[in-house]
Amino acid sequence: MVNNGKPRATRANGVDRRSFLKATGAGSAAVALAGCTETISGGGGGVPDTIKIGAMGPADASFGASILNSAKLAAEEMNADNGIAGADVEVITKDTMDQPSTARTGYQELTTSDNVHGTVGIFGSEQLLALMPEIASAQTPHLTAGAATPKAPEQVAEDYETNKYWFRVGPVNSVFLGESLVQFAEDRFDSMGWETIAVIAEDFEWTTPITDGIKSELEDRVGVEVTEVRRVASGTQDFTPVYDQLEAAEVDGAFTALAHIGVNALVQWAKQQRPFGFGGIHVPTQLPSFYGATEGAAIATFSQTTATPTSEVTEKTVPYAEAYNESFDKYPVYSGYSAYDAMYMFKQAVEATESVNGDDIVSELEGMSYTGTGGQIEFYGQDGEFPHDVKYGPDLSQGVYFQWQADSEGNGVQETIWPDSLATSEYVPAPWNQ
Amino acid sequence: MASVSIATVAANVLLLGALYALVAIGFTLIFGVGGVLNLAHGASITLGAYSAYYAVQFGLGIYVAGLVALVVPGVFNYALYKGLIKPAGDNPVAVLILTLVLSLVVEQVFLAIAGAQPVTIPGFVDGQVAILGGLEANRVLGFVLSWVLIGGLFYFVNRTKRGQAILATSMSKKGSALVGINPDRTYTYTWIIAGVLAGVAGLFLGSFQSLNPLMGRSPLLLSFSIVVLGGLGSIRGSVIGAYFISMLDQLTIFYVSDRLAGLSGLVVLVVVLLVRPKGLFGRELAEG
Repeated sequence: MVNNGKPRATRANGVDRRSFLKATGAGSAAVALAGCTETISGGGGGVPDTIKIGAMGPADASFGASILNSAKLAAEEMNADNGIAGADVEVITKDTMDQPSTARTGYQELTTSDNVHGTVGIFGSEQLLALMPEIASAQTPHLTAGAATPKAPEQVAEDYETNKYWFRVGPVNSVFLGESLVQFAEDRFDSMGWETIAVIAEDFEWTTPITDGIKSELEDRVGVEVTEVRRVASGTQDFTPVYDQLEAAEVDGAFTALAHIGVNALVQWAKQQRPFGFGGIHVPTQLPSFYGATEGAAIATFSQTTATPTSEVTEKTVPYAEAYNESFDKYPVYSGYSAYDAMYMFKQAVEATESVNGDDIVSELEGMSYTGTGGQIEFYGQDGEFPHDVKYGPDLSQGVYFQWQADSEGNGVQETIWPDSLATSEYVPAPWNQ
Repeated sequence: MASVSIATVAANVLLLGALYALVAIGFTLIFGVGGVLNLAHGASITLGAYSAYYAVQFGLGIYVAGLVALVVPGVFNYALYKGLIKPAGDNPVAVLILTLVLSLVVEQVFLAIAGAQPVTIPGFVDGQVAILGGLEANRVLGFVLSWVLIGGLFYFVNRTKRGQAILATSMSKKGSALVGINPDRTYTYTWIIAGVLAGVAGLFLGSFQSLNPLMGRSPLLLSFSIVVLGGLGSIRGSVIGAYFISMLDQLTIFYVSDRLAGLSGLVVLVVVLLVRPKGLFGRELAEG
C-alpha cells in the first residue's frame, strides 16, 4: 500500500500539512491504484506531489553517514527551491549495517512499503551485489554512491533490460581505481623517490580488479620494481610481520588498496615508524577527521579520493562541502559527494522527463552529462565498456590524490598532490623518513 | 620476497607472547578457581581499551587513562561476579550463557556509542628502542609491564596468604573451606585480578593496533587455545602456552602465509583436546 501515512523515517524537510495530507491521500482509491502501478513499474508517468528517494548506507560509519546526510542535505536544498518539478522531496534513510542481508531487507522496505521513486547510496560492494536482483525486480532507478565493484555493470551488460535500473555516480569502478593508481605512479613516483615498492591490498571484492595485473602495469609503464602484490586477509589485526617483510625487501613505499582493515595498517605503520612511505587508496585516511582521530598517525599518508573539502574539482565541490559542514558540523567523505550528485541527477532526470517512471528516468540518465561535485558525470551507454557506470577521465570523473600534512600549528591538512591542475602541495615524506 | 631475520621473528614472538599470557592468565584463573568458563573475558579487554580511549578523549592524559583501563575492567568483573555469576551459582550452563550474553551486550554498547569505525589511543612512549634493529618503544614497554605483572602474580600466588588461598581453592574447594578459607572472598579477588590483567592487555593491544568494539573476540579465542594447551587452571601453563602459540603463529605468518594468522592456535586446540585433554600442566587442577 502506498503512502500509509506512517512516518517511517527521517523527513528531510517539514512538508506543509496540505501537501502532506494530499500525498498521504487517506482513503483515496486513486492513490491506491497509483500505488499498484508504482509497485510494478517503479513509478508511473507524471510527477506526484511528493517524490520519495531512499538513501542507504551503514549509518554508524562515516562512509554511510555521509551518504545519508548528503541525501538529506540535497533534499533540503531542493525543497527550499521548488523541490523536484514542483514536488516536495522526501528522503527515507535505511541503515545497511554493512550487511548484505540488512541491505536487502532495507531495500525491499523502501521499494515495497515506502514506494520510493529512486534510491541512492550503498557502501560496500558485497551489499551492492546483494541488491542487484532486488533493483532489477523493483524496476526503480538506483544510483550507487560508494561501492566500486565492476561486477555491477557486468550484470547490466549481460542482461540490459533486467538490470538497466542500476547506475553508479561514484567512485569510479575498481578497474579505473587500478588505472588511477598506475597513472599516479607514472606522474609522481619519480619525484617521491619510490623506486621499489610493494602493493598491499585487502582481500575484498573491490580490490580484485586492482591487484590483477598491477605488477606488470607498474613495472612496464612506471619502471618501478614491485617486490610483491600482497592480498592481506580480511581479519588481519597485526601488520607487524607484513611490515617486517617489506622492510627486509627494502621497499621505498607500500602502495595500498585498503578500506575495511586500513586503520590498523596505517596506525601500525606510523607507530612503528617504518622506513618506507604509505599510501595509494586508503579509505579511512580520506576521513577529514582522521588525522585528529589517530593522534596524527595519518601524517604523510596519501590516498586517492573523489574530492576533498578544499579541492575545487568543479565549482560545486567546495560549496557542497561547506554546506555539509554547516549542517552536520563535519566534512563529508567521498561517498557523500557522489550521493549528493546522485540526488541532483535524479532531480534533473525527473524534471526533464516530467515523469517518475523508472524507464523514462533510465533513458534520461543514459544521455545526461552533469557537472557534479565530483567531476563531469556521464554514464556508459548500453554498449559501453561498463554499461551505466560512471566514466573515468581527466575531463570526466577522475578524483584527486591528497596527502596529510601538518600546518604551522600542527593540525592535519589534506593537501591535494595530484593532478597538477588541482595540486596545492608536493609529496612530503613522513617526519621519521626525512 | 626478502626473508626476515630470525631476530625479528623472535622479537615479535616475545612481545606478543607476553600480551597473550596476560589475557590467558586471567581466563585460566577464573576457570581454575571458580570453575567458570568466562566468555565475557574478551569484553573486559574491550572495556579496558575503550575506557582508556574515553579517558584520553576527556583530556586526562595517557597515564591516567592507563590507570582507568585497569580500574574499569576490575570493577566490571567485580560487578559481574557479584551480580550475575554468584547468584547463578553452580549452574554452569546458566553461567556460560550469562557471560556470553554479557560479552555481546558490551560489543553492542560500544558499537552504539563509539561506532564500528576503529579508533586509536596514543602510546605511553614514542619512538624506537635500538634492540634487534629497532623496536617500537611502546611495545617494549608493554612487554616489560606484562612480565612485571606476571612476576607479581606468581609472587602473590606462591608467597602471600591470599594468593595461597586462591591456589588452595583452585585445588580443592572443599579442602580449602575446611581450613577456613572464605571461597567467596577468594573468587572476588580472582575476578578482579582477571579483569585488571585483561584491562592491561586491552590497553596495549589498543595502543599497538587500534580499537574496535569486536576487538575482544580473537584474544578470547586465543585464550581458549592457550589455556587448553597449558592445562586449564594453570598459570605456569598459560605463560608457556602463550609463548608456544605466539611462536607457532608468527612462524606460520612469516614462513607460510600471513593469511593463516590465528589458525595455528585452533589447530593446537583440537590436537591437545584429542591427544592430551588435560594439557601440559593439567594436574594442578586436582578436583573441582
